Amino acid sequence: MNFLSKKSYIAWYFVIPVVFIHLFVIGIPSILSLALCLTDWSGLGKINYVGFENFIELFDDRYFKKAIFHNILWTIIFLTVPVCIALMCAYLLTGIKRGQMFYRLAFFFPYMLASVVNCQIWKYLFHPIHGLGGFFESIGIEALASSPFTTKETSLYAAAFVDGWHFWGFLVVIYLTGMYQVDNHLYEAADIEGASKFQKFRYITLPMIRPIFIFSLMIIIIWSVPVFDYVYILTGGGPAYSSEVVANYLYTHAFVRFNVGYASAVGTLMFIYVIFIVGIFGLLRKLGWEI
Amino acid sequence: MIKTIISFVSAIILSVSFSAFSKTKVTWSMESNADRDPIFLEKLQNAYNSAQDKYELEIQFEPNETRIESLRTSMLAGMGPDIVETPGPSYVKEYQEAGMLENLDSYAAEFGWKDKLIPWAYSSGVFDGSLYAIPKTHESMVMLYNKTLFEENGWKVPTTLEELEDVAGKIKAKGMDVYTYGSSGWQPTHEHLVGIYLNNYAGPQAVYEAITGEREWTDPVFVEALELLKKHMVDEGWWSGSLENYYAIGWDDFHAQFATRGAAMMTIGTWTFQATSLGIGQSGDEWGWAPLPSLSSNSGGPNFMIAIGTTMSVNAAAKNKDGAIDVLNWIMSNKDVVIDIASDFQFGEFVVPLLLDDSDIPSTISPQVTSYLNEYARITGEGNYGYCTWTFWPAEPGVHIWKDMEVVWAGDISVEDFMYDHQKMWDKARKKNETLPVPLRD
Amino acid sequence: MLVSNFRRKEAIPNHFILILFALLAVLPILVLFFNSIKPFSEFGLNPLGPPSEIRLQNFPDAWIAGEYTKIFFNSAKLVFGSVLLCLAVSLLAGFSLAKLNPKGSTVIAIYLLVGISIPAQLYILPLFLLWKELSLLNTHVGLIIIYSALNAPFATFLIRSYMIRLPDELFDAAKLDGANTFQIFFRIALPLSWPVILTAGLIIGLAVWNEFLFALTFITDPNFKPMATILFSFQARFENNYALQSAAAIMMVAPIAVLFMLFQRRFISGLTSGGLKE
Repeated sequence: MNFLSKKSYIAWYFVIPVVFIHLFVIGIPSILSLALCLTDWSGLGKINYVGFENFIELFDDRYFKKAIFHNILWTIIFLTVPVCIALMCAYLLTGIKRGQMFYRLAFFFPYMLASVVNCQIWKYLFHPIHGLGGFFESIGIEALASSPFTTKETSLYAAAFVDGWHFWGFLVVIYLTGMYQVDNHLYEAADIEGASKFQKFRYITLPMIRPIFIFSLMIIIIWSVPVFDYVYILTGGGPAYSSEVVANYLYTHAFVRFNVGYASAVGTLMFIYVIFIVGIFGLLRKLGWEI
Repeated sequence: MIKTIISFVSAIILSVSFSAFSKTKVTWSMESNADRDPIFLEKLQNAYNSAQDKYELEIQFEPNETRIESLRTSMLAGMGPDIVETPGPSYVKEYQEAGMLENLDSYAAEFGWKDKLIPWAYSSGVFDGSLYAIPKTHESMVMLYNKTLFEENGWKVPTTLEELEDVAGKIKAKGMDVYTYGSSGWQPTHEHLVGIYLNNYAGPQAVYEAITGEREWTDPVFVEALELLKKHMVDEGWWSGSLENYYAIGWDDFHAQFATRGAAMMTIGTWTFQATSLGIGQSGDEWGWAPLPSLSSNSGGPNFMIAIGTTMSVNAAAKNKDGAIDVLNWIMSNKDVVIDIASDFQFGEFVVPLLLDDSDIPSTISPQVTSYLNEYARITGEGNYGYCTWTFWPAEPGVHIWKDMEVVWAGDISVEDFMYDHQKMWDKARKKNETLPVPLRD
Repeated sequence: MLVSNFRRKEAIPNHFILILFALLAVLPILVLFFNSIKPFSEFGLNPLGPPSEIRLQNFPDAWIAGEYTKIFFNSAKLVFGSVLLCLAVSLLAGFSLAKLNPKGSTVIAIYLLVGISIPAQLYILPLFLLWKELSLLNTHVGLIIIYSALNAPFATFLIRSYMIRLPDELFDAAKLDGANTFQIFFRIALPLSWPVILTAGLIIGLAVWNEFLFALTFITDPNFKPMATILFSFQARFENNYALQSAAAIMMVAPIAVLFMLFQRRFISGLTSGGLKE
């Protein structure tokens, strides 16, 4: 599709600014940090080379494994629940005339709030004394009396729920952008042939928004790797590591436990994982997927 | 353009004319708190600045959550504040190891700091034989109870495990929580309870031996202590009714619960004194305090656990080293300033461990706090003191003791396994020379 | 025209489902709003419902305690600068990846995607040291550069996935008319892409408005602090004063909400009258 110019270096001029600024701010500092994975640096004092000791310890670390498992779970949750709801709502939104503005604002509102604020709201709502907890207790539903953020069976899901609650409105906007690109003649033609709502969605909308849809899935997979804010503020990874995720684990080691070397080893593994995932997407693209 | 020139010129004129008697700035980044900040500004910063005309002290307040990190980042970049405030000795150790703190030995000798401070508190700042930190505040753990409530019901303030379990049953029968306390907003809260059970079940002597390496943490006496804590926390739900509620409740919540009879007692550090006096004062009930009950016959009577709240050091890369030293010396030489500020906090904060007499305690502070201060001085003076984890545990085991305690409470690992891991961490810390100063016990 | 993919009578079940989700999204925030106009004393008694007495004093209190005027302009400056810089670099890159397909574009795509996934905790320390060397600490320019870099990969991909759908014929035609690549970018790609420009701008702006980790670390001078850091320290300083916290939170989201509504209006009209149809 190189129809614009025979001189392909022109294409590069367009990409250089973004690569430059990103390398400068994130790329190079990250590589410097990752280099520390073979040391036992505490974050302040002398730097000693320790070989692969950090990695050996990591592969033996049950909480690190737990955190990885939670990240995978988190990714699966986000790939299904918010995506389905957002697709449905965006599609329904394109089919109504009145109240467009209202719905968009309503759906998107949680996304506009800072994570600190959202967490504050839900912590308040689930507070055992003055939130819904007290209410449920007073009407006799003991199971909901204690906060889901502090119950080890539910803490991960509760944190994922709040993050998802804040995130799905964003997906709606993304999908809407794509859906408005769909040519209305296609729908009109389908209407004439008597297609159902779902059929139109399946055979017209979805194929037409495929690039943006695949993109959203990829971005969810990638964003699920460094997930931090909501877990950190709502549960701190607890109780008893029941909601620990990899980025929070890295944070604790780097900033609370004075184990910068170990944290860098965690970072390195995250890095390898993401390259692997992105590689898969790259492969799909090579195989002719338009993504 | 003209404006710029004028302001530029006038700036030069101003700086020239003032340089003859200008003061050099001393910076101090301090933990922020809405109630305390104005008092520190008025009675520390402004008082110091008007007391002398050489230096200009400038305190910057930052919330604790971010302060620890941003301090480390700026210290690494060689641009930290002149006076370095850390949350405790394990942090001092990290900075000292990295050569970022000024050795204070010569100043301590010149100004006689050793004679001004409580001996154990002074020695808490001595690393590798030299002084690097001065405690900004020292503290202990106590048991608070609702005195009015106890008197109404004829309950006896417990001093032993039997009495404690007995009164706990009676409190629960009234539909109240035994203790109110929670870790929301400050996860390390767990270590307060762990410290209480270790010191009051196994006894301070055993804890001392374990800290100094003469005894293993896998010793049955420590395992039993934490089994008892687990029983009270998880099975009996003594703190806020259940483990889940304990995790969900924060500072203001438990003070409100204590004031409104949601619970009869509270296990907490002395930093609570100001908040407690204010909170329960409005409810009409009267509060009392007691040393924590001894939980076994090993513990050897009531003791007070000693702890350093925050510490003050001088940045080795300070822009104004002399100014920083002068501020520290001014604080230690002006007992009345310290007492005045500490009284505003009911001796819950800025209790610089100066040697005080009974007569030094002002009449403005509450009778409960006065009696506590006297008791504390008497009992610790006799050498009956225990050890708080956040002052005597090296960095890694210091995090393990609270963070992984949740795993024990969740039932995921046994207390024995936990203590086995804990001992391993201590061994590692000892090998890497990360242990903290401990005053000699006689 | 927009509604033609459904017959009119189908709109009612649509509304039913949409309202359900709208309530789920908005009700918790309504509680936040109620809390912001509630007297502090009412919290224990009436946690969720509307206040029995409206106390607007919470807003001026939070305004003064948070020095709102100053932090508002600081945040606005950061948002404006970051959106401008980030959009500029992302549009160029997105266009190139979508329509020019430079050799090795896969490498760039992989690099940017990997970049998104690196947790900030990993590189914040070396970045801080670098910023100190460049004297960018405590400056808004320094933060704007960071924010642009943070948000650029996402914006690039978003723009790319939109531009890839633009009909190739338009570009071919321009090419035949003798326009060079830059002219094609400015005259054809940009005007056609402005819905995605708005969306990307909105998302970048929000991310910057709400960001606090970098702001807390890189800005220590209270005169340069943006809004989110104030809210953060607010929560630490007034731990459970929900009234004050809620008022501060409402004031933080208000400007963004207003802006979003304005955006939306133009967004919709731009789409319906835009040049996407042949």
